[in-house]
Amino acid sequence: MHSTKVSKGESEGLVANRVLLTLLVAALIGAALLPFAAMAPNRLVSGQSVGLVSALLAWQWGTLGLLAVLLGLCALSRPFSLPAAYRLVLVAAPLWLLLVLYGLGSYADRALEDASSAARISQGAAFWIVAFCPVLMIVDAFQRLHTNLALRSLYAALLAGSVAAMFALDVFDGLAILREYANNRELFAAEFATHLRLVASALGPALAIGLPLGLLAHRRSGARGPLFGLLNFFQTIPSIALFALLVAPLAALSEALPFLRALGVKGIGATPAIIALIMYALLPIVRNTYAGFAGVAATTLEAARGMGMTSRQILWRVEIPLALPVILSGLRIVTVQAIGLTVVAALIGAGGLGSFIFQGLGQYAIDLVLLGAVPTIALAVVADFLLQILVAISKPAGAR
Amino acid sequence: MIELQGLTKTYAGKDVVEEVSLRVESGEFGVLIGPSGCGKSTTLRMINRLIPITRGRILLGDEDVTELPPEQLRRRIGYAIQSTGLFPHWTVAENIAVVPGLLKWPKQRIDARIDELLNLFHLDAGEFRHKYPHQLSGGQAQRVGVARALAADPEALLMDEPFGAVDPLTRDVLQNEMLRVHRQTGKTIVFVTHDMDEALKLASRIAILNAGRLVQYDRPIELLTQPADEFVRNFIGKADLGLKLLSRRWVYQYQQSAEILEQPSSFHHDRSSVTHGWEIDDQGRPLCLHGGRLYAEESEQRTRVTHEWSATPDMTMKEALSRMVWFRVMVLPVLDEQERLIGEVAMQGVMGREP
Ligand SMILES: Nc1ncnc2c1ncn2[C@@H]1O[C@H](COP(=O)(O)OP(=O)(O)O)[C@@H](O)[C@H]1O
Ligand SMILES: [Mg+2]
Repeated sequence: MHSTKVSKGESEGLVANRVLLTLLVAALIGAALLPFAAMAPNRLVSGQSVGLVSALLAWQWGTLGLLAVLLGLCALSRPFSLPAAYRLVLVAAPLWLLLVLYGLGSYADRALEDASSAARISQGAAFWIVAFCPVLMIVDAFQRLHTNLALRSLYAALLAGSVAAMFALDVFDGLAILREYANNRELFAAEFATHLRLVASALGPALAIGLPLGLLAHRRSGARGPLFGLLNFFQTIPSIALFALLVAPLAALSEALPFLRALGVKGIGATPAIIALIMYALLPIVRNTYAGFAGVAATTLEAARGMGMTSRQILWRVEIPLALPVILSGLRIVTVQAIGLTVVAALIGAGGLGSFIFQGLGQYAIDLVLLGAVPTIALAVVADFLLQILVAISKPAGAR
Repeated sequence: MIELQGLTKTYAGKDVVEEVSLRVESGEFGVLIGPSGCGKSTTLRMINRLIPITRGRILLGDEDVTELPPEQLRRRIGYAIQSTGLFPHWTVAENIAVVPGLLKWPKQRIDARIDELLNLFHLDAGEFRHKYPHQLSGGQAQRVGVARALAADPEALLMDEPFGAVDPLTRDVLQNEMLRVHRQTGKTIVFVTHDMDEALKLASRIAILNAGRLVQYDRPIELLTQPADEFVRNFIGKADLGLKLLSRRWVYQYQQSAEILEQPSSFHHDRSSVTHGWEIDDQGRPLCLHGGRLYAEESEQRTRVTHEWSATPDMTMKEALSRMVWFRVMVLPVLDEQERLIGEVAMQGVMGREP
């Protein structure tokens, strides 16, 4: 498979890797036309844009330029062979990313030296483009090299470690988003924890309800239609509407039943949020559990029964191990989805990282919005990656 | 011993197995055969109670199978199916260990048993123990499937078209192995197939089913020579009837003594009353055949003995005849395991004698 790709690439002429070339061109156009950073006199007014070349020091954009030339050569069929080109991308792209991050941080420090303490440095559109393109280049190179998961994980850990080290070395301290963080340090930790708690309190019950329902859908074909009909219906309700819809009945319940009130059940806050998150999580969990069990070959089950395994033994030793990768793929979908949806839960007073986003939107303070959005995205990416590893591990050795 | 007494299975008011009574004695190789949908699998699966019995009785030894808990019954009866049903997430060793594990054998005994069974099927234990089913060829997977069915030394073995999905060459090899394993273990076997050649080759008794009813239950030779009715006659097939008979006869039944030539160079057809003779080496292995050709003008010739052009006592006469035709000779040397000449089998013998 690999070799056909190689020969196809070469027969097409000069360009061997269109994806890489496209990403590179996008990054260069973005860097040339869009603002890299903005400086504002205070938090609430919009700032003055700065381009990449004027924001960065000469050695910084010069090196970025050289890396761009190298990446450009990697996209061509000459001078590098394809595998060599992919490996070079895996070296050049992260250097590019780290340099962009460092460049932004150092620009902020320099710009703030002779500005008032209220002045703000924010990242601009070009920054996001120039930072995301190398990440996509890395993902693309790994896919083409068919690298195994262990190596990918090690690489991702190294890259994440380097970025974390830059945070630890206060490289980004001049940036507005970190100023917002510094102002809200304790609140941030609390909201971050609330966010995780909301996600976990939704996923636990969702699994506890969804796994048996998935098994039921597999065992009873009659239950399948109505069950999936209902779960699909939940999925079609817009999240804000669902959160809002739950407020009134829960408030009434809490009013009518004092013991619920004693448990902390209220019309607003965590309860409706968790219920809504569970409702959204059920469909992927039930669907994947059902698909996982349905995927176990009938002849495997017949052999298991014919050898004298009890139904319980067949469930635990044969069906669950064989269905597990598919079930965990469902959990992966649901976890990423719940991390994102929990943002909306802030609207009904459940807290979480969403509260920064809505607060920031209300105050037109984009950096506060980002303080909520960037960690949410990072959380989703990390959760996705970890669950991907879990899925790979759960695949039976015979089927890996 | 497995005995079916008036066994009946009804689905939605229709009898798919109807009043079947037959007895497979201990150590016998019983084959159920019949057209597709005639109820073979249903009958087989009632024996280990994968399907509940509507009416009638099944005895395993002197026990009624319905009086045992189904799981315990199944652990005492091996079960092998066409698609092998090997567990894809377990190694060959783990697959074979299933029933011994359910019966709580000690680990050492299970390990020894796995090696023993892999050896029985000529699979190298060191190599195959740790393989996963998807790493096996069709024939190897089927061997492991049968080994797994035999793992806990069951009282009987049920097999549902186990060789139906492998290529003809592999099927032939697996059938020979099955015969050998049956000889070595002496298991009572109930084997389902729709292939008459397979049934004739393997069975000590054949039960022919048609639309859920037992039409004839007999030894293969009797089935061929005395078919009960037109259905059986048609099912056996009118073509190749003679060859089918020969496939149930063995070289040792037709073996004659062979003429050894002391001075091979002196052999001449016209000076001797003997039409052919064998030249052997000092170990008693045949080197070549003098004479023994169909046409007189060829009979001066010598024919070198090769491995392909020879017979063993346990070869079917069908195979021996096929070799005679292919190599254009009237006789084949019969060799023992050391490849020594122990007799010959001749074209005239095939036609002449009834063993
Ligand atoms: N669960 C079932 N419900 C209804 N009919 C069945 C069922 N299983 C098998 N049959 C019918 O019983 C007959 C015998 O089936 P089977 O024993 O599988 O045949 P075969 O001889 O090919 O193995 C077939 O006509 C089949 O359609
Ligand atoms: Mg069948």
